[in-house]
Amino acid sequence: MKQLAVATGQDLREMFSAGAAWLEKGAPDIDAINVFPVPDGDTGTNMVLTMRSTMEEAFRAPDRSASAVIKAMAYGALMGARGNSGVILSQILRGLAKGLEGKESFTANDLAQALTVASQTAYAGLSRPVEGTILTVIRDVAKAAEAAAKENPEDLAAVVEALVNAAKESVAETPLLLPVLREAGVVDAGGQGLYNLLEGVSRYLKGETDATPFRKPQIIASTVPLIPKVISLTAEVEEPYGYCTEFLIEGQRLNPDRIRKRLEVKGQSLIVVGDESNVRVHIHTFDPGVVLRYATSLGVLHQVKVQNMDDQHREYLEMQKERLPTIDIAVVAVALGEGMKEVFRSLGVAAVVSGGQTMNPSVRELLQAVESVPSNKVILLPNNKNIILTASQVGPLTSKQVTVVPTKTMPQGIAALLSFGYEKALEENAQTMSEATAAIKTVEVTRAVRTTQIRGLSIKKGQFIAVVDDEDLVAAGDDMAAVIFQALDKVGMETIEVMTLYYGAGTKPEDAEAIAQEIGNKYPGKQMELISGGQPHYDFIISLE
Amino acid sequence: MVKIVTDSVSDLPPQLAKELGIAVVPLYLHFGTESYRDNVDLTTEEFYDKLAKSRIFPATSAAGPGIWVEVFTRLATETSEILVVTAGSRLSASYESALQAKTMVKTDCRIEVVDSTSGIGGEMLLVLLASKLARKGANLEEVSNSVKKAAPGVHVLVSFDTLEYLRRGGRIGRAQALLGSLLRVNPLIGLKNGEVYPYGRARNRAQAMDFLVNFVKGFPRIDSIAVEDATTPDEREVLAQKLKQIVPEERIYQTKVSPAVGAHVGPHALGVSVLEAIE
Repeated sequence: MKQLAVATGQDLREMFSAGAAWLEKGAPDIDAINVFPVPDGDTGTNMVLTMRSTMEEAFRAPDRSASAVIKAMAYGALMGARGNSGVILSQILRGLAKGLEGKESFTANDLAQALTVASQTAYAGLSRPVEGTILTVIRDVAKAAEAAAKENPEDLAAVVEALVNAAKESVAETPLLLPVLREAGVVDAGGQGLYNLLEGVSRYLKGETDATPFRKPQIIASTVPLIPKVISLTAEVEEPYGYCTEFLIEGQRLNPDRIRKRLEVKGQSLIVVGDESNVRVHIHTFDPGVVLRYATSLGVLHQVKVQNMDDQHREYLEMQKERLPTIDIAVVAVALGEGMKEVFRSLGVAAVVSGGQTMNPSVRELLQAVESVPSNKVILLPNNKNIILTASQVGPLTSKQVTVVPTKTMPQGIAALLSFGYEKALEENAQTMSEATAAIKTVEVTRAVRTTQIRGLSIKKGQFIAVVDDEDLVAAGDDMAAVIFQALDKVGMETIEVMTLYYGAGTKPEDAEAIAQEIGNKYPGKQMELISGGQPHYDFIISLE
Repeated sequence: MVKIVTDSVSDLPPQLAKELGIAVVPLYLHFGTESYRDNVDLTTEEFYDKLAKSRIFPATSAAGPGIWVEVFTRLATETSEILVVTAGSRLSASYESALQAKTMVKTDCRIEVVDSTSGIGGEMLLVLLASKLARKGANLEEVSNSVKKAAPGVHVLVSFDTLEYLRRGGRIGRAQALLGSLLRVNPLIGLKNGEVYPYGRARNRAQAMDFLVNFVKGFPRIDSIAVEDATTPDEREVLAQKLKQIVPEERIYQTKVSPAVGAHVGPHALGVSVLEAIE
C-alpha cells in the first residue's frame, strides 16, 4: 500500500465509512457496557445511528473537497445525533469541519490541528464536562496526533495508527477518572465507541479492511483493577465458628490415622497429614486447649497457630461493609422459615436473624447483626413477643442508634417494613412503622401440644388451633379449614382488604393451594396472596390488612 | 413575547400546547430499528397497544442539537426571545442538546435554556408557569429567573405496577431499593432535584392512590398540580376529584404520559406533580 500524504474529500468519505462500519460491528458490545451518565444500554446504537446520518450527508456533499465533505458530515451528525455520546460525537465532527475549513485536501498536520479544534469544541459544548468519558479520549487523541504528525508529516496512516493507540490507552484508563465505571467494572462506552470508529479508519488506511472480514472490534480491558460492586449484603448472622487451630507435631512413630480418629470428634474441617516423624494438623474447634494437650502428649509442637474465627468473620464483614454502598437506615429483622426470610429480604431488610417461637435469638446474635449492617441507624423488628425484650437490650451495647419497633408476629414485621419511608428520619419511621402494625391482624394456625381448656374451648392434643395476634386462642378443631374460617370470623373480615397466607414447612403446597382456594371463594373481592413461608410449627400464618 | 419551548418529556397535552403557542420538541422512541417521534408519529394509546404486542423493549433518545437548531431557526423569524425548559439533565440529554443548539444558531434572537431538574407533570407545571409569565408580558430574564426559582419547588410522585421498565431504561437510580418484592406491591417513586428516589410501597392500587393524595396534602402552599395516567384515565379522574378538595379545580391539570415516558414507566402508572407556591 502506498503511503498517503495528502487526503481528499473522497478519502475522508471512505475512511469514515470504514470507521462507521467497524463501529457498527462492535455496537452491541458497547451497549452492554454503557453505565454513564444513564445506564440505558444504548451508547453503541446511538453512535451508530449518528454515524449513519453522518455518512448519508457525506455522500451528498456539493463537491469532493475535504472541506465540503467534512462540513456535510458535521451537518449529518448534527441532525442525526442520538443520545449523549451521539451529541458529543457530533461536536467532534463539527470541530473537525471547523479545523479543515477551506481545505481542498489535508495532510497529517492539518488533521492533527483539526482534531485539536474538535477536542476543544467537544469540551466547550458541554455545560459540565466530565472526565473519564469520550471527552478525555478525544483530547488524548488530539495530543497524540499533534506529536505523531511532527514525526511523520508525510504518512497519514502512521499518524492515525498513533492516535488510535493513544485512544486505546485513554479508554483503558477511563475507570481511573470516573468512579461509576470502576464500580461497574467497565470502561467508558462512549470512549470505546470513539476508539472503535478511529480504529476502523486506521484499518482502512492500513488496507486491513478486506483482509479480515470476520473480525470485530474488541472491548478494551481496563488498566485499573476493577472493584466489582457487592450487590447483596451477606450480613446474615452465621453460627459461631470457634478457633482455627493449626500446628506441626514432631515425634517418633507417630500414627496420622490414629491422630485423625482421635481428633475427629473434637471439631470440624479436620486435616491430618504426615508421616511417622512429622504430622500437620488443622482443625476448627471450640476448645483448642483439649486438642493441644493431646498433641503435646505425642511430641514437640511447632508453628502453633490458634485464631478466633469469629473475629476473622467480623473482620471480613467489616471489610465487606466498607465496600458496600452505605444506606441511611438499615432494618434488621428476626424471622423463621426460608420463605419468610426471603420475604423480609425482598423488602429491603439488611440482615435477617434466625429466630422465633421456641427459638429465641440471643442478645449477642442480634448485636452482631446490628453491627454488621452498613448503617449507623438501625431499626430492629423482633417479630415475636418473647424477643422484644432481648431486642431492647441491644441499644446500650452498641454505638449505633438502634430503635426497636415492637412487632409481635412476622406479618406485623412485614407490615412495618412495607410502611418504611426511604426519605424519613429514624424516629419518624419507627413511629410510622409502629402505627402500621396496629392496622394488621395475624392469625397463626398450629397444633395443640397438650389437651387443655382455654376460655371455654376444650382442646385435644394434636388438634388445630388458631391464635390471633399471638394472644387470643380463638378456634380449635380437627379440620384445619374450619378452624381458619372460625378464626377469620372472629377477627371480622368486613374491613380487611388484603389477605396474605404464608404456609409452613409441614404443609404441602397442594394442600395450601386448596385451602387458599376455599378462603378465596368464601371472601371474594379481597386481594389474596399465597406464599411459601417455610416456617416450622405453624401450618399457616395469615396476615389480614 | 417570549416564546416557550419544551421537550415531549413534559407530557404537555398537544391541544394545550397549541392553545398556548408552546413549541414541543419530540423525543425519539425506538422499537428496534423503527423510530417514532414522541406524540407526533405515535399517540400514547397507540404506544401501549404496540408495547403489549411487541417483543422488543422500546428505547428512547433525546432529539439531537440539529433538531433544536431547526426549531430555534424557525421560531427566530417570529420572536426575538426564546425560553426553553427541558427535562432534568440527569435524566435526559435534552438539556445538553438544546444548550449546544443555542451556540450554533446564527440569529439575533436571544435564547435561554433552563434545566427543569424534573420531568413529566413537574416539567409541565414549570412550562405552564413560564407560559403564563410570558403572556403577562415578562421579558426573557424575568421568565427564566422565575422558572429557575420555582424549579426546586416541583415535586413528582408516581405509583407503579411494575418497575421493570424503569429498570430496563436505566433510570431507576436509588429507587432500585424497591425492586424485587416477593409480595405484590405498588411501589411509589419520587422525582426531586433531578433525581429519582424511593418513596414507599403500597399494597394495592387503592392504597397507592391514598399515598398520592396524602403526598399532595403534605404541601402547605400549592400553586398548581398535574395529574397523569398511562393506561387508566378513569383512575386519573378519581384522583383528580380527590385532589379538588385540596386545590381549586382550575389549578389541576390532567394529562397522559407521552409514549417516550411510557417506555420508562410502563402500563398502569399514575402520577401527581406539585408546584409549590412561592412567597
